[in-house]
Amino acid sequence: MSTAASAKPKFHAYRVGEFVERNGLPLFCAVLTVGAALFAPGFRSPNNLQNVLTNAAPLGVVVLGQCLVILVRGFDLSVASVMATAAVIATSFDETTDWSVIPILGVSLLMAFVVGSVNGYLVTQRKVSPFLATLAVMIVLQGIRFAWTKGAPSGRVPELIRVIGSQAIYAVPINLMLLVSLATIVGIMLHRTAFGRKIYMVGGNPRAAELVGISVNWITFSCYVLSSVLAALGGLVLVGYVGSVDNWVGRGYELNSIIATVMGGVSLRGGRGTVFGALVGAFVLTEIFNIALLLGFPVQFQWVVKGVVILLAVAVYLAAHRSR
Amino acid sequence: MMSDGEAKRSQPEALFWLLRRRTETAIVMEIALIALLFIVGFLVSDDFRTIDNVVNIIEQSTGLAFVALGQTVVILSGGIDLSLDATIALTSSLLSGAVNGRADLAAPMIAAVLAIGLTIGLVNGTLILLLRVHPLIVTLAVAAIVQGSVLLYTLMPIGGMPDGFDQFAFGRVFNIPIGAGVAVLCFAGVAFVLGYTRLGRQIFAFGGEPDAARLVGIPVSRVVLFVYGLSGLLASLTGIYLVSRLGIGNPTGDTNFNLASITPVVLGGTPLTGGRGGVLGTLLGVFLVQTLNNVLNFLDVSTFYQWMIQGLIVIVAVSIFVEKRRRAA
Repeated sequence: MSTAASAKPKFHAYRVGEFVERNGLPLFCAVLTVGAALFAPGFRSPNNLQNVLTNAAPLGVVVLGQCLVILVRGFDLSVASVMATAAVIATSFDETTDWSVIPILGVSLLMAFVVGSVNGYLVTQRKVSPFLATLAVMIVLQGIRFAWTKGAPSGRVPELIRVIGSQAIYAVPINLMLLVSLATIVGIMLHRTAFGRKIYMVGGNPRAAELVGISVNWITFSCYVLSSVLAALGGLVLVGYVGSVDNWVGRGYELNSIIATVMGGVSLRGGRGTVFGALVGAFVLTEIFNIALLLGFPVQFQWVVKGVVILLAVAVYLAAHRSR
Repeated sequence: MMSDGEAKRSQPEALFWLLRRRTETAIVMEIALIALLFIVGFLVSDDFRTIDNVVNIIEQSTGLAFVALGQTVVILSGGIDLSLDATIALTSSLLSGAVNGRADLAAPMIAAVLAIGLTIGLVNGTLILLLRVHPLIVTLAVAAIVQGSVLLYTLMPIGGMPDGFDQFAFGRVFNIPIGAGVAVLCFAGVAFVLGYTRLGRQIFAFGGEPDAARLVGIPVSRVVLFVYGLSGLLASLTGIYLVSRLGIGNPTGDTNFNLASITPVVLGGTPLTGGRGGVLGTLLGVFLVQTLNNVLNFLDVSTFYQWMIQGLIVIVAVSIFVEKRRRAA
């Protein structure tokens, strides 16, 4: 592999690879935005820009949690089901008063805590693969939700949730502010506390983490609980935007959140990546969907875009990683 | 991860002892559960004990059987295929949409969709080899592209098949449903490949110890392309079977075969980590799942609870087997 002749290009490639891995996505985001502003009619309009941000916020909240789980070498496929369940909970209380937000929040978080605990228990104690554990939990939760709503959920959400999910103050969407505050909290937790450091260690090398006395199971378990809790919040934000509820609120968010996280440079092998990167991933993904619509492609085209984007992102990171 | 477990598994005798013990346990459990379900069915409903109903269970099992077989081989090789729903959506809607009742187009289109299924599988395999990320990500990405293409082709079920095409699903030869017969033949063929050919051994070896398999010179790309190609091919067979049974293709991809195909594999004693297990357990698993659904229908349990029960079964099955493996290791 390594010969004397390759020494010089390797040094050069090291920098390119490192640069792409660190700054590729924000750069791509900038190019995409400028390109869209130049070529896609309607992208520049303040309305549309606000729309993109409002759309990105619920995904961003879910991505925060997905990012934590992927950092510890897992996946959480149950996020969409948690979102829909939180949305159903949001319509199950008195919609005429904003005070219902308190029980809604309480019950949603409790539900999310239970779901995350089951995920975490299965993954850490029963050593079930994260994929299968969260998939099975997703199906069970889906069954419970359908049985509870008898297949046809109805009702409306309190006005406060509507406002948070869809209104803006001085053109800044409220749900975006919520996302930024949550991201700040998660970011500080991840990058400035011992707990966050431990998450990276567990993801980077679980055996070594175990040997230096970190409780790998506890850290992993916490990440699954946090992911579910953030997914529930994301579901509440989303249902506030959508306004009405059906059984599939948040459908596709499990895949979208994984795509955004991976695009944002969080390695599926665990232990690498930042919250900021993952959030940029969420914005880029939303932006791509928006541009595809503005260019007149049918909505179904989003599926194709999604698939191509994830394959490209993975390929670029592979190339960048190899050249290091 | 488990260094002592790996050391043990490197000894062939220990490996085969473990393999046999594990799958045998699962198969005995499955037969016991099927027997139990039949007893319950006999007790609760007169309609359950008719030949028609048993044939009905077999017919319902057939569609699932094809994909579950493909999924088993993929899982044995240590991977996972989540593009099944999309492949089924594409092949079924393309078949009924393109044929649109014309008898002369049926045979070429069947050949075409089989080729399409195979191609999707090979694309999965190629991308997994090239990108070296988790098969979950690759197959989901490919699934998104395929599903999007189907929906661009049509949003509604369209077209139809000529008369007589439903024979694949409902026809009988010596009282055996044709589709089920084909499915059993497929299982037998794959069982032969797994048990008696070099390629079969290589699939087990690659699934159990990918790095070791690579080091001892197992043609990894051949193994990966074979398992995903087979899975895609079998998924298109399910698509064809569903068109034959329902008369029309379904483009929405709501068939839920991605999880449904994993349940019988796990019940059959094939762990998701690969390298151990077999197809007989999967075949019984398919029959077990459909018998359960059938009994639950007779008990008037709604579909929603059936999902719940299916999810819980997966969780319980996976948890039990992990416990066993840990003790053995």
